[in-house]
Amino acid sequence: MFKAMLIKEFLLVSRDKHALAALFIMPAVFILIMSLALKDVFNEDKALVEYAVVDKDNSLESFSVIAKLRANKMMNEHNISEDFSTPKEEGVQFIVVIPKGFKSQFSQSDANSSALQIEVASDIGQSHLMLFKTQILSSVMQVRLDAINLSREMQSGIRGEEVEVKKIELDEKNMMKIHYAALDEDEKPTSTQQSVPSWIVFGLFFVIIPMSTIFISERKQNTLMRLSTMNVSLPVLFGGKIIPYMLINQLQVWVMIAVGMFVVPLFGAAPLTIGGDISALIAVSLALSLSAIGLSILIAVTVDSVEQATTIGGIINILLGAIGGVMVPKFVMPDFMKEFANVSPMSWGLEGFLDVFLRRGTLSDVMYEVVGLMLFGLVSLIVAAGIFNYKIRRVA
Amino acid sequence: MIKITNLLKRYDEKVALDHLTLEIKAGTIFGLLGPNGAGKTTLISILNGLTKYNEGEVTVFGLPLDENLEAIRKRCALIPQTLAFYENLTVIENLNFFGGIQNIEKGLLKKNIEYAVETNRLGSMLHQRASTLSGGQKRRLNIAIGLLNDPDILFFDEPTVGIDPESRNEILETILSFKEANKTVIYTSHYMPEIEKICDEVAIINAGKIIKQGSIESMLTNESANQLIIEIYETPLATLESFCSKMNALTVVDESSLMLEGKESETVARALALLEAENVAVKNIRYGTTTLESLFINLTSKGRTDV
Repeated sequence: MFKAMLIKEFLLVSRDKHALAALFIMPAVFILIMSLALKDVFNEDKALVEYAVVDKDNSLESFSVIAKLRANKMMNEHNISEDFSTPKEEGVQFIVVIPKGFKSQFSQSDANSSALQIEVASDIGQSHLMLFKTQILSSVMQVRLDAINLSREMQSGIRGEEVEVKKIELDEKNMMKIHYAALDEDEKPTSTQQSVPSWIVFGLFFVIIPMSTIFISERKQNTLMRLSTMNVSLPVLFGGKIIPYMLINQLQVWVMIAVGMFVVPLFGAAPLTIGGDISALIAVSLALSLSAIGLSILIAVTVDSVEQATTIGGIINILLGAIGGVMVPKFVMPDFMKEFANVSPMSWGLEGFLDVFLRRGTLSDVMYEVVGLMLFGLVSLIVAAGIFNYKIRRVA
Repeated sequence: MIKITNLLKRYDEKVALDHLTLEIKAGTIFGLLGPNGAGKTTLISILNGLTKYNEGEVTVFGLPLDENLEAIRKRCALIPQTLAFYENLTVIENLNFFGGIQNIEKGLLKKNIEYAVETNRLGSMLHQRASTLSGGQKRRLNIAIGLLNDPDILFFDEPTVGIDPESRNEILETILSFKEANKTVIYTSHYMPEIEKICDEVAIINAGKIIKQGSIESMLTNESANQLIIEIYETPLATLESFCSKMNALTVVDESSLMLEGKESETVARALALLEAENVAVKNIRYGTTTLESLFINLTSKGRTDV
């Protein structure tokens, strides 16, 4: 009896291709994507930090610090001009400006006047910044020690006596000034601001599951066919789906923002603040919603059952999230994965939200992402309409 | 009302409707019979504008279907075999939605909803979720939705599948009531007793062709064989079986009909004498096969093709 039960279950599972996809293909693809995305994090030979240096001092000391940084395998230097833009636009995570007079800190106790200025991309996490600061400190320290040793050797060689070493401040705060791109002086992005955009994007795409489930039930029960015989056109049919789900998506966005603003602080974390324009936030969330709904309808018209919609919708959502930088920040991904991330609409939505939450983005700043997301949504809807018409004709 | 001439429909290389010609008069309940894959659904889909056809001519209300689809659809309703409504909405929410989507004027819609509710006896369950209705009640809601535009033509695709006999009878009574309202009904079903009960006229379709069409009575009468049907007033089956055992040529068809093998006057006289002796009153004697079902099987079993 038990043997028969086992055989039956194995046969059923082995013939359910969507269950097999969820059990085997999804984890396999997920492992592949995550491994590639995190490839460089655990690879000592690969650079984790993308940075650029603008040297305004042009001194032996500044050259030495730059040379020490270059020698570090964890970091990859980019060349940029002196009139540089934001780290995001320059394609780096950090821009180090060595100010004129930098060399004086090697001889003065107060290094404040010649502190290094570090411009940080606002989506960079604290741990990543800490790593970079440690590398800078270490490089400056080494150069200082080299200078002290050289000076002592020279003086002892000439006079043959011990040299008194001047006390030099090694306070990190005095040695470097950190500034987050697009934020005020001394203003730091919070972990809430850095994480909420990811979860908003992810949450919006979960509309795939309820939407495709209802659509497939309507199709299976011939409700859609009945609506066709009632002269309901395809634009009305799709419009009747898009508008309610778009409103649901907007409600999701504001509920999640409200949680970030009012609930998260109750648990001791920093509250969410919206740095950018509200109009930009609305534009990104509407465009993101259109792309999520377009994809949902495309899935709904393509698959044949509610089970398939739930499985495939869930898989696509997770994979788009993994590719698009929702689960792993794009700045830790290797270059080819960063490029690949751009195929995911979640990546465009995430960049748009980061512009608003972290970079004080205006409507014009997010226009590129908004247009991309809307085009993705519209193309998905057009393809869905074609498939829907073909399937309706075939069934009838 | 509906005139179909030389209709051809192909799915790739397969011919679903093979130069089919058919006319359905206004105010009739028209049965469309055929085995699975005979072309019934394709024909209903074409008449509802869901499927394009390759050749032929279709007019509904005297209007060519292709050019007047929207106007024709406003006067027709398709009641699918599946329960094509929203289980998570209440009865009245479903009616309001399907009425609203058809842009029916508010006052008229209210009147039509009342008619649909009354005709289908849904008044006591208006605020009940559709998912909580019984099988028969769901079928009635399915029909009620089809009445919201007060259609002149109703297409029923096996509306009694999977429900109990009582609910089935209620639905058949409802459909019969449409005749009084001068509506035309095109009815497809596999239940021959249903067809016999409600339809004025029947077309049997097989392999995309109409192989027989006419009134049920004429169909059964014309199909003469060495058999007679004796129609009687309803008598309990046990009584009928008891006296039929006294005469080998006599068999029970149902509570109101017997079949007599042989049409010689001597045989007929013996059977009538037996019936008289048992106090069974005779309504009619006619030539023909036993039932529509046997005629259907006989006709469609020749050269059966799935399309």
